[in-house]
Amino acid sequence: MDEIILRVENLKKNYGKREALKGISFEVKKGEIFALIGPNGAGKTTTLRIVATLLSFSGGRVEVMGLDLKKEPKRIREEITYLPEEAGAYKNLTGMDYLKFMARFYAADKHEFDEYVERAVEIVGFKDRLKDKVGTYSKGMVRKLLLARALMTKPRLAILDEPTSGLDVINSLEIREIIRSFVQEGTSVLLSSHNMLEIDFLSDRVAIIDKGEILEIGEPEILKQEYSAQNLEEVFRRLVQ
Amino acid sequence: MNKFINLLKKEIKEMITLQIVISLLFTTGLFYFIGVIAKSEIEKVAAERDVYIVDLDGSQESGLLTDNLSLAGFKVNLLEERDKSSAIEYANANNIDLLIVIPEGFGEAASQFQFKDIETYTYIRSFSISSSAGTALVEGVIGEINRYLSNNFLKEKFPDIEPENLKNPIKSRDFVIVKGKMAAGSAAEVSSFVYSQSIFVPIILMMIILYSSQMVLSAIALEKQDKTLETLLTVPISRNYIVIAKMVASGLVGLISAGVYMLGFRYYMGSLMGNIPSDGQAGELIQQLGLQFKPNDFILLGISLFLAILCALGLAIILGVLVEDLKSAQTMILPLIFLVMIPYFISMFSDINSLSLPVRVLIMLIPFSHPFIASQNILLGNYDIVFYGIIYMLVVFVVLIVIAGRIFSTDRVLTVKLSFGRKRLAKDY
Ligand SMILES: Nc1ncnc2c1ncn2[C@@H]1O[C@H](COP(=O)(O)OP(=O)(O)OP(=O)(O)O)[C@@H](O)[C@H]1O
Ligand SMILES: [Mg+2]
Repeated sequence: MDEIILRVENLKKNYGKREALKGISFEVKKGEIFALIGPNGAGKTTTLRIVATLLSFSGGRVEVMGLDLKKEPKRIREEITYLPEEAGAYKNLTGMDYLKFMARFYAADKHEFDEYVERAVEIVGFKDRLKDKVGTYSKGMVRKLLLARALMTKPRLAILDEPTSGLDVINSLEIREIIRSFVQEGTSVLLSSHNMLEIDFLSDRVAIIDKGEILEIGEPEILKQEYSAQNLEEVFRRLVQ
Repeated sequence: MNKFINLLKKEIKEMITLQIVISLLFTTGLFYFIGVIAKSEIEKVAAERDVYIVDLDGSQESGLLTDNLSLAGFKVNLLEERDKSSAIEYANANNIDLLIVIPEGFGEAASQFQFKDIETYTYIRSFSISSSAGTALVEGVIGEINRYLSNNFLKEKFPDIEPENLKNPIKSRDFVIVKGKMAAGSAAEVSSFVYSQSIFVPIILMMIILYSSQMVLSAIALEKQDKTLETLLTVPISRNYIVIAKMVASGLVGLISAGVYMLGFRYYMGSLMGNIPSDGQAGELIQQLGLQFKPNDFILLGISLFLAILCALGLAIILGVLVEDLKSAQTMILPLIFLVMIPYFISMFSDINSLSLPVRVLIMLIPFSHPFIASQNILLGNYDIVFYGIIYMLVVFVVLIVIAGRIFSTDRVLTVKLSFGRKRLAKDY
């Protein structure tokens, strides 16, 4: 039986009068990579921010590991990590300082702390530059640093908003591989992208979202068969027609 | 607690950037430098009592007059020149600053108590503090000459009476009363002493408040600008800790910055005002009047200062939520600067009690006013107003912190945007 890590039920969110989410529902199972895909403004970031305990919502219910998000955001924060769509790290700290700073919030003891930092160093892959200030890093390096910090603690749920946004082909590939290999260790991932091709081979299941509504949920292969499409982009096009 | 210290360390590391250290050292150095220059100028003024005299009269009277000037402390140099224009030329060629011409027939006229005017020529070669001192020198010289001549005159007419007694028949004996205590001395003496002792309090206070709130405001603005706030808010740590860590770090860094800054500033002020005599007669007078801080008073003053800083930090946190980047943070700090400057200037140049009631109430509503007026009121024994001030600031602080905590525990900290910020963004593109 698959353990449910995240359950979103009939989630609604308004920004003033604008309805950003019109009641969406989905589940993320243990150890799975679940992707929200959809065009710009579909409501992906809004959903992810709500699950990351950053935004309030107007209706519905969100549960992380059976905990009600409205009631126990503090407990939930111990189990999740969040990589925002556009994120930076403290420029005046070194990369290493940043990782240690973040690790201290999650580690129960020295042993765990060392383990987290070690794993993070392995993930970033540029050990020699970690003693330099973050201000001197390239975009790709910052993104990897942030991804490393999101995955180093082996959270129950890692929420990654467009993990490859703004990166070149090689860096994107590396990031995808990092995500793939670290999820084998029992972390579930909720990620978003508008790049439907990348999602195709990265995720176990996808939800196609547009204008605040989920149009379809399923495994990429099965969706492609159902809509007799070559790729998810075609599936999406069939759906909105 | 460990998590809090972790957060605090990061805040401090982020705040003490190279630019801050450099600009701080630069300002301090600048003040020191200005101080050194001002000091040397002032010393020049004090040293320059050189007087050059052309005695066209050459009589006994004019000789006595120049001798008297030497006695009065002027350094008299007699020029050999025998006519005015060559003396002026000579002075010009030799960089002489002040030339005094005693006219021909001066002595003879004086012996009949008719006086001929003395001409003075002051050369201005640059415009600085010392050039304006030329006037003071001329006045000093002429005053001394007048005193000498009128004393001679009086001595001749009334040989039995001391000329000074004739000129100032009554002398006053001055007493001051403060808080019902009386002591011999002048009001000017007392107030200049108190003023000189407390002049640094408002300046220090103003700087700490401005520095710290600037720090906390930019700390939040920077989190937004560098897009680190979202990540920080998902970390398992109490949101209150985030707010408090920022305040403590800003308070600490603000305190240190203000301290370093003051070193330079003290030197600057010290060189302008000369060394303030902290003991001696004035000190005794102050003691008799009880115009001294007792240990408890310092504690009271400290609490008042501390609460004002907390209020400023609380306000800055809330303002910080409204800004999106460092640029708008600089605009946002203006209302705070304004709120601090009003009581600062009033406490420097005026007396709050002399203002009309509505204005006074308005000023009292500004929490930062209270520490500015506290030291005076403590000295004068008006403890009530100090206590009320402390209670008022405490209330304001609690309200501000509750508001700040509320904002940080909701999503407003991420979604609030100032309309002017967005408009400007729109214009930029
Ligand atoms: N802070 C906000 N205030 C008002 N409206 C907002 C705000 N944030 C998002 N929206 C609106 O909500 C809708 C969904 O936005 P969201 O950022 O979730 O989209 P997205 O799927 O992440 O798009 P993208 O692919 O461009 O990142 C959009 O119409 C957007 O304009
Ligand atoms: Mg988005």
